[in-house]
Amino acid sequence: MKLFDIFKIYFLIGCQLIGGGYVILPLLRKYLIEKRNWLKEEELIEYVALSQCLPGIIALNISIFSGWRLNKLKGSLIAVFGLILPSFIIVSLISLILYKISDMKIVENLFFGIRLSMLILLFNMIYDIFKTSMKSYFSYFLFFFILFMIIYTSFSPVILIILAILISILKGGHKN
Amino acid sequence: MIQLLLFYEFLKTGIFAIGGGYATIPFLYHICEKYNWFTVDELTDMIAISNITPGAVGINMATYTGIKTCGILGGMISITGLITGPFIITIFAIYFLNKYKNTKLLKNFFQGLIPASCALLTYTFIQLSIKNIFVENNLKALIITLILFFIYPFVRKNPSLIIFIGGFFGILFNVF
Repeated sequence: MKLFDIFKIYFLIGCQLIGGGYVILPLLRKYLIEKRNWLKEEELIEYVALSQCLPGIIALNISIFSGWRLNKLKGSLIAVFGLILPSFIIVSLISLILYKISDMKIVENLFFGIRLSMLILLFNMIYDIFKTSMKSYFSYFLFFFILFMIIYTSFSPVILIILAILISILKGGHKN
Repeated sequence: MIQLLLFYEFLKTGIFAIGGGYATIPFLYHICEKYNWFTVDELTDMIAISNITPGAVGINMATYTGIKTCGILGGMISITGLITGPFIITIFAIYFLNKYKNTKLLKNFFQGLIPASCALLTYTFIQLSIKNIFVENNLKALIITLILFFIYPFVRKNPSLIIFIGGFFGILFNVF
């Protein structure tokens, strides 16, 4: 796979990322799995899960992981560059031209709808993870346990993720 | 050396903001209070603009903050600062993953990580649903969300379409 292809894909994804990082999952699925078959669904879910517990912006971390999978370090660098470039160009232009854009009523209403779209995308992302990677009673147990802990206790998300990993490693289950 | 300080502040933000673009917001407020590079009003505008422009929210906010502080060069500096930390950490994570690939340890690691990460996403989903549907504008939001929910399967191949459709309904429903 050519480096320019990788750049092109991430640039296109960068242009379409509106409203938050969750949109990147269906976009990567479209470009890397359905169109080119460069990645497996399970791998993508792993990247999403890993990106959540590493520092940094989720969309960016997912791009680093998937870029590496496509072409090692070069792939990661190009993926990040491609993803950032559209943001950079557009934000630069907007900051020069418009400035009080958020005061406009129409923009506020636009937002209101976009936020609801984000809910749908997030819901589908969760559904996809369930479909692809939650296959045992143990994963359901962990899911509800961590959900309970995050709602009713004040532990930080990172602590809870580490806790779940420790429980899973202590329990074992996978044999080679 | 305002450029150096800018780089340093965003380097810190990148490393400590775990959980995606929105996690950078408290850090931006901190920068705002500490240096007076921009006002709180400008920051509110930045967050709004970052949401509606293409690109990951965290990247857009960093770009915008950088540009407000010291021009286009500032934008480049803040983005570079923001991604340097996560990039290095993610590359280390990839080395670790490849080293232990197909071992029992790593399979158990993912067996714990994925349900936990899915639980955190579900928690975000619940919080956002409460905030966007059940607290403000309840009936209108509920109707739009249901429409989007049923439209989504048809636009699954082009996920960014749902963002535009959501924005469109947001404007449409607020006109009448």
